[in-house]
Amino acid sequence: MSDLETFRTRARAWLESVAPTYGKAAQTHLAYEEKLALGRRYLKARFDAGFAGINWPVDMGGQGLTHIEKVTFETEEMQFGMPTHFFGISLGMPVPIIMKFCEDKAWVKERVLKALQGEEIWCQLFSEPAGGSDLAGLRMKAEQDGNGWKLNGQKLWTSYAQYSDYGVIVARTDPTAQKHKGLTYFWVDMRAPGVEVRPVKLAGGDSHVNEVFFDDVKIDDSHRMSPVGGGFAVAMATLMIERYVATDSGGFGPHLDLFVSLAKDVEINGQPAIKDGRIRQQIARNYAMRNGLDAITARAMLMMQAGMEPGPEGSLNKLVSVRSRQKLSELAIDLQGTDGLHFDEHLSVKDNWQTSWINAPTGRIAGGADEMLLNTIAEKILGLPQDHRPDKGVPFNEIPA
Amino acid sequence: MSLLYDEGQLAIATESRRVLEARIMPDALLPLLEQSGQYHAPYWETAKEQGWTALALPEAYGGLDLGLVELGLIAFQIGRSLAGAPFLTSSFGAARAILDLGDEGLKNDWLPKLASGESIGAVAFAEGQSVLGTSVRFADGKLTGTKPGVSGGLHADVAVVLANDNGTPVIVVAALDGVTKTAINSFDNSRCVADLTFAGTPATEIARGEDALDAARHVLALQSVVTAHEQTGGAEALLERARDYANTRRAFGQVIGAFQSVKHRIAEMYGLVELARAGALHAATREGHPDFLKAAAAARIQATDSYDTCARDCVQVHGGIGVTWEAGLHLHMRRARTLAMELGNLFFWEDVLVDCLEGEAA
Repeated sequence: MSDLETFRTRARAWLESVAPTYGKAAQTHLAYEEKLALGRRYLKARFDAGFAGINWPVDMGGQGLTHIEKVTFETEEMQFGMPTHFFGISLGMPVPIIMKFCEDKAWVKERVLKALQGEEIWCQLFSEPAGGSDLAGLRMKAEQDGNGWKLNGQKLWTSYAQYSDYGVIVARTDPTAQKHKGLTYFWVDMRAPGVEVRPVKLAGGDSHVNEVFFDDVKIDDSHRMSPVGGGFAVAMATLMIERYVATDSGGFGPHLDLFVSLAKDVEINGQPAIKDGRIRQQIARNYAMRNGLDAITARAMLMMQAGMEPGPEGSLNKLVSVRSRQKLSELAIDLQGTDGLHFDEHLSVKDNWQTSWINAPTGRIAGGADEMLLNTIAEKILGLPQDHRPDKGVPFNEIPA
Repeated sequence: MSLLYDEGQLAIATESRRVLEARIMPDALLPLLEQSGQYHAPYWETAKEQGWTALALPEAYGGLDLGLVELGLIAFQIGRSLAGAPFLTSSFGAARAILDLGDEGLKNDWLPKLASGESIGAVAFAEGQSVLGTSVRFADGKLTGTKPGVSGGLHADVAVVLANDNGTPVIVVAALDGVTKTAINSFDNSRCVADLTFAGTPATEIARGEDALDAARHVLALQSVVTAHEQTGGAEALLERARDYANTRRAFGQVIGAFQSVKHRIAEMYGLVELARAGALHAATREGHPDFLKAAAAARIQATDSYDTCARDCVQVHGGIGVTWEAGLHLHMRRARTLAMELGNLFFWEDVLVDCLEGEAA
């Protein structure tokens, strides 16, 4: 067995041993706050078992392994539905970025250890009401205030801000500079006076995202993580950290075998739906496409193991899988007829077609809208030109509204 | 078998691309469309000379002992350059049927000649809308009846034929001397499609009953994996042409690739090409495993959809120039449709795939 397979076996054995305590079944009928508490306990257990911070340095409480082991562990972990989503952003982006860009290493280590054990959560304050995809168009103001800074403005779509202890934030420090050049990157204490978090209820009924208001929030200059005016580069670095993540060709919704089972159980015109040509075609086309995505992922893993850089085709996964999940979920509801009208917002999007369907649009928007992903493919991979950009080269405060 | 190509495999890809790009010009392919039964002889000479006909056959019969991954790499380049004849896949299918099912005599009769390219093979299973048609009669060692629309059939020396013996499906091998071959006029004439009419043609049985139908599906699956690579190559060529055109053609004061309606269409083509590529390679690595048929069916469905869609959309990106004879994009349109039909339409493959999945689901 290769080292990686040994690692996978060890990880799987541990996950199986704790699944009854933390896995999918243990979470049914838990209230949201109880799920969070369970999640914190799971992170502590994962830390103690030596599966936390897999590709982070040992002196920061990590395991000192590579992103291959990290993705391998996440791929295994995903199958158990462990309550990790509260910490996904925190450990995925802000915490790695403070390790990289904060100078007070003792303080950083304390934060990292607490974050790894589920004691503290970090959020990422990037998107705003005026723009999500257009990150550099943000309006949050940071003005010099004595030796420090004063923040004023509003962030939006901030995941788990209501549970967060800290956040990383990009703000505009110079409105007279071009949009990308007037930004600066800081960290903030989410409990500081003047920070107000208001949850935003989403279509599917849950409220994990928030609007966050900053009203004269004072921060020390030691919170600054980029040169003044150099925040955009650190923001890009933040988004690049999560390049190697566990993917799911089911678009983080139900897998195709659940659809096949459903199609065997229900009838169309008095015969099993799986015998109906319309359903067969959808199953076949979806399988063929997901099979392609899985092969792309498998090849990327092999390339990483061989020390090669995986190809850019990995960027297709989210684009292709989530929109297919959306359509397949609609079809699954159709298949159930009036039974398909039943809805329980607490059921998992991984095995319930209704919650998968109602929440699918979020997946096509969050973390890069489909249209942005297509732009990225067209521009970065294929070398097609950028869109016409009236804001290019213009000082931020002169961009036509 | 790995999803990562090794150095030898990459060399096959590079060399076959170099040779094909030097020798195959669309100018030579266009006239073939207007006359039925003609293929592009320089292409086929190249395939023989380069040893592609021998590539995936055993050394014992004059082959090079490589497999689907390597043949797929060649097929991919052939798809990019638009093959001037269908014989590489048709001969491979016929040879694999003989290799897997035939006796030593039959193998010695045909495999060395198919490996060298001296003989051309055809696979004659379909009849009209039936992908596994069995209406041709086999009795007393002789075939009677017509197999319609056999790709490569016009120039084939030997055919692997699905027939019936008193109602039981059989696969037989028949030399085609004396068989009436009627060329049909197709929208992709270099495929040399012909109706083959047997009138007491001597033939040798190699499979019978359910085994014969399973074997027929397996032969089609093997050919489908090769063809999925060819389809991916065609789709990739179209993606590149669309991209290059969008980067140079100007309208409304900018290159048309700056319009999202155009650039997103091309980005979607990229997705289709990569899905097809990954599916085809995955299937090539699964030969000999229990899930081969499933992987082959998935590869065929994705590659067929990808090539058809890229053909459609590449023409659209080109606007008026895209529909001209001279631009030659219709060569890909025609080839995409032909490859979608040869080896069975998607209705057939969707059923094959769902049957596999149905067996698995709880």
